[in-house]
Amino acid sequence: MSIEIPGLPEDMPGAELKYVGKDVKRIEDPGLVAGTVEFIDNLDLPNMAHCAMLRSPHPHARITGYDTSAAEALPGVVAVITGEDVKRWANPVTTAPEGWGSYCLAVDKVRFVGEPVVAVAAESRYIAEDALELVNVEYELLPVAATAEEAIKEGAPRLFEENESNVILSKTYDWGDVDQVFADADHVVSETFFWNRVGANPMETFGCVSTWDTVNNSLTIHGSFQTPGFMALGRAFSLNLPTNKVKVVSHPHGGSFGGKGGPRGSEISSLLSRKAGGRAVKYIEDRVEYLLAGAGQSWDRYYDASLALKADGTVTGFKVKLLDDQGAGAEGYGTISIAKPIAAFTGCYRIEAARYDLNVVATNRAPTYPYRGYGPPPHNYVLESLMDIAAQKLGLDVAEIRRRNYIPPEAFPYTIPSGNEYDSGQYEVTLDAALELADYEALREEQARAREEGRLLGIGVCSVVEPGVFDWNAYTTVGIQGVGVPEGAKVSVDIMGQITVTVGFSLEGQGQYTLAAQLVADFFGVDMAGVRVAYAATDVAPPHFGPGGSRLGVSITGAVLGACRKIEEKFKLVTARLMQCEPAALELADGFVRIKGVPGAEMHIAQVAGTMLARSDLLPPGMEQSPEATYVWTAPGRTEPDEQGRCKSYLTAANACHVVMVEIDPGTGRTDILKYCVADDCGTRLNPATVEGQLMGGIAQGIGAALFEEYVYTDDGQPKVSTFAEYLVPTIHEVPKTDKAVIVTPSPFTPLGAKGCGEGAIHTTPAVIMCAINDALLPLGVQARATPASPNRVWDLLQQAK
Amino acid sequence: MKPAPFDYYSPDTLEEAVALLAKLENEDLDAKILAGGQSLMPMLSLRLARPDALVDLRKIGALDYIREDGDTIAIGAMTSKSAAEDSDVIRTRQPLFHEATLLVGHRQIRNRGTVGGSFAHAEPTAEYGAAAMVLGMDMKVVGPNGERIVPAKDFYVTYLTADIDSTEILTEVRLPVLKKGTGWSFQEMSRRQGDHALAGAAVTLRLVGGVCKDVCIAVFGVNASPTRLAEAEAFITGKAATEDNAREAGRVGADGLEEPMSDVHATAQYRRGLIATLVARCLVEAASRAS
Repeated sequence: MSIEIPGLPEDMPGAELKYVGKDVKRIEDPGLVAGTVEFIDNLDLPNMAHCAMLRSPHPHARITGYDTSAAEALPGVVAVITGEDVKRWANPVTTAPEGWGSYCLAVDKVRFVGEPVVAVAAESRYIAEDALELVNVEYELLPVAATAEEAIKEGAPRLFEENESNVILSKTYDWGDVDQVFADADHVVSETFFWNRVGANPMETFGCVSTWDTVNNSLTIHGSFQTPGFMALGRAFSLNLPTNKVKVVSHPHGGSFGGKGGPRGSEISSLLSRKAGGRAVKYIEDRVEYLLAGAGQSWDRYYDASLALKADGTVTGFKVKLLDDQGAGAEGYGTISIAKPIAAFTGCYRIEAARYDLNVVATNRAPTYPYRGYGPPPHNYVLESLMDIAAQKLGLDVAEIRRRNYIPPEAFPYTIPSGNEYDSGQYEVTLDAALELADYEALREEQARAREEGRLLGIGVCSVVEPGVFDWNAYTTVGIQGVGVPEGAKVSVDIMGQITVTVGFSLEGQGQYTLAAQLVADFFGVDMAGVRVAYAATDVAPPHFGPGGSRLGVSITGAVLGACRKIEEKFKLVTARLMQCEPAALELADGFVRIKGVPGAEMHIAQVAGTMLARSDLLPPGMEQSPEATYVWTAPGRTEPDEQGRCKSYLTAANACHVVMVEIDPGTGRTDILKYCVADDCGTRLNPATVEGQLMGGIAQGIGAALFEEYVYTDDGQPKVSTFAEYLVPTIHEVPKTDKAVIVTPSPFTPLGAKGCGEGAIHTTPAVIMCAINDALLPLGVQARATPASPNRVWDLLQQAK
Repeated sequence: MKPAPFDYYSPDTLEEAVALLAKLENEDLDAKILAGGQSLMPMLSLRLARPDALVDLRKIGALDYIREDGDTIAIGAMTSKSAAEDSDVIRTRQPLFHEATLLVGHRQIRNRGTVGGSFAHAEPTAEYGAAAMVLGMDMKVVGPNGERIVPAKDFYVTYLTADIDSTEILTEVRLPVLKKGTGWSFQEMSRRQGDHALAGAAVTLRLVGGVCKDVCIAVFGVNASPTRLAEAEAFITGKAATEDNAREAGRVGADGLEEPMSDVHATAQYRRGLIATLVARCLVEAASRAS
């Protein structure tokens, strides 16, 4: 059955939209404000024990023995597990390429500081931590591969000894005749860039409560899971359970951004529960655990990149050589973040040929995990920095060189050399809106005056594409299979006409429950306050993935509207029979099914649903007594990648242009953001306030990556970051107010024309701040090529310039 | 991140607290005083501090006061930093101490953290250390043998260590009010607002005939304890606080420092550079405020 989902807001039933496209208040917020939302640490199950983990102090060592007897004898200790239990009961995670995933607890050897080695369940977390002090683990220290550069050297210590080297993936993608365009270029600009390790830091760390039902041999895990169905599936594989015997209940959680590293914590607590005979075991990751060895570390990269240019500023080729430090294996879907830049490799520009030369390497640092943006933010920093370098080389303004290279609006849908198709865009309109907002000419004049006074003012102008609505096919090229990411919703109308939407994901902060209610309310023409959005655990939820890859807003819109359409069709059939008219004569509006043009000839949806539920005798023959429908949406038209990784992967291409002015204090190296302007086009804005919230959050995280955040390791692989005294997340004081302009270029391919916007500004902010800093440093002849541009790093550059 | 087991005491009076500390010392137990807990509680949770006993002073209301005594302001050790921040007496009569207070963490931290707790903890990055050195503050310490007064220059022993015996309690800090005509400045560099300072400086001076006199310069966040910069003081004394002289004084002060601390945010060399910058800026600002 083909369901026609409205492609634009005006295609919705009913005359007027009261909620979609408006800044409606979020239905999630009253519970958050009143403190009635059940976060995972509030969950207290009967007879629940508490887990603590002993973690490796060594970056690389062989485990030669355990003594857990004293810990087991401590009063209040319920169960102790080691790598020996895990070897017997579990498997390495399946989210890494074969041979590069770890068990949840170290087996035979440790590969990074903070890797869990022994876990204890006890009557309280205090006792569990006391017990850890009684555990003795013997280690034989091994040589360390502390950086990617060291790890690829001949004879480097191997992390996974059964593999031939530490290279997880080595691959070169060629799109177009790269060598030819570089040979034909009038100019080539090249530079190297360091992107130092950063990552997600949600307010709430990971937490879960696992209960292993030893009678039915089944497992229930309550937790702060971003992608519950996917987590349940993975745990079934790791813990040797049938897939229908693992149930995940996702609780509302305090952000995620990809950093809720559920696999290890949920497996360890599950195995403790199994060993404790089925007692529930709670694990709440603390911030030290999170920062050392949680899923908060991402993108540790060294780039060597070039642009081929024509004399008029046309960019014809882009080459990127990437050395990527994955840390101790690829357990956190790490290779995906290397592949995602392929979806928007050449950014906003018509660049005819490109090459991506990858070396993805394991080291004795913590394994890397997803982070908002999932790979493109460092890539954009490289591309946009090269655009600035090219502009300097040719004596062009940084805005002008971008303008000359944009994909023009009439070229959409536009297939980039790396294979993805961009849906729509007006990049020059976005640029002009940002320049106007910033009064760019006045900024340049101000900069010129400041330079005369010896002040270091810099301006950045960056244009970026945000790939939205991910599909697994994008990652087939790095070993992850699949085409199609389902997102389902069930819409039910009860006998009183009240509507419930059931979804498979829980609250995470982005406001998708509100969006679901907006859509249903406008579709049926009812009051949004009456629409309930309910969460279903993995055993009963429709097929789902949850938030991730800037997809859920678009996907849940498709799912909800698809389900609404199915109900509308049924309601029209029932009403047509009762009113003795053709279904095509009916319309749905204001909570009624009406005969078009006949005033008063109508039935309220409660009457229709009530008839369906209570009067089978009145229904059309063969009709189910079911005033409800489930629809599972996935991005249409996705294709399987070719041997060069080319495919239609991300459905939407949102676009933004940021214009920023910074000032560097020459005495301290500190960077202050003086002006921040954003023009942003993510198609139809289903809830503009939510879009703005996403945008601001992305800017904040981008500022963190550009100026503050860094997971620092010593030369011998010891982490120097274990608390928020070392890892500096920007606060309200460090994030400037922004001026914003909105451009709307609807997607021709999505429900209501919306584009993915959840990852948003983190794609642009690090690039634009680095570009602005380098613009400020230009008169001094030094440039910042490593993130974050911390005061110490910038001060060092200033000394070099003296 | 849960503390190791400890015994907890919350005496009602100073006398009880002093007697309790003596008793615990006699029993060879390691006791720590809890005076707000903004530093100690994280150390307990990280199991970096593992005392046998905590003696919490929170019930001793007699240690919560700000009093003017002629040209001295006396602050009870259990006075919160936000009370110091909100005090008109401190703001108007000793603005340098007030400014230092504003730079301690965030308001929420200042609500819980106490003035005495900060002094006794002797954290190298604490703003109050430099304030104590330039203002010539006195600390009142009470123990089994009565009270003694420790001048600031003797109070700081080394990293996280002040001249307070394990049976003693810091009960009061005393600061002279700012003398009429004295110029002052207090500046620091931190990564984010409210963070520990990477480096900071405090300056007081007078201008006589356009040149600097009675110059006091202290820095913090660079060495184990707050430090007076005698060479920089000598350099600028008798000179006008021009940008050039101030910059040179900053350089002299920075060059004379012991090797600064180095950590994830700042190398020793960078800290030295920050001191040169901050001392210079403080001198210019202090001179602009002198009359």
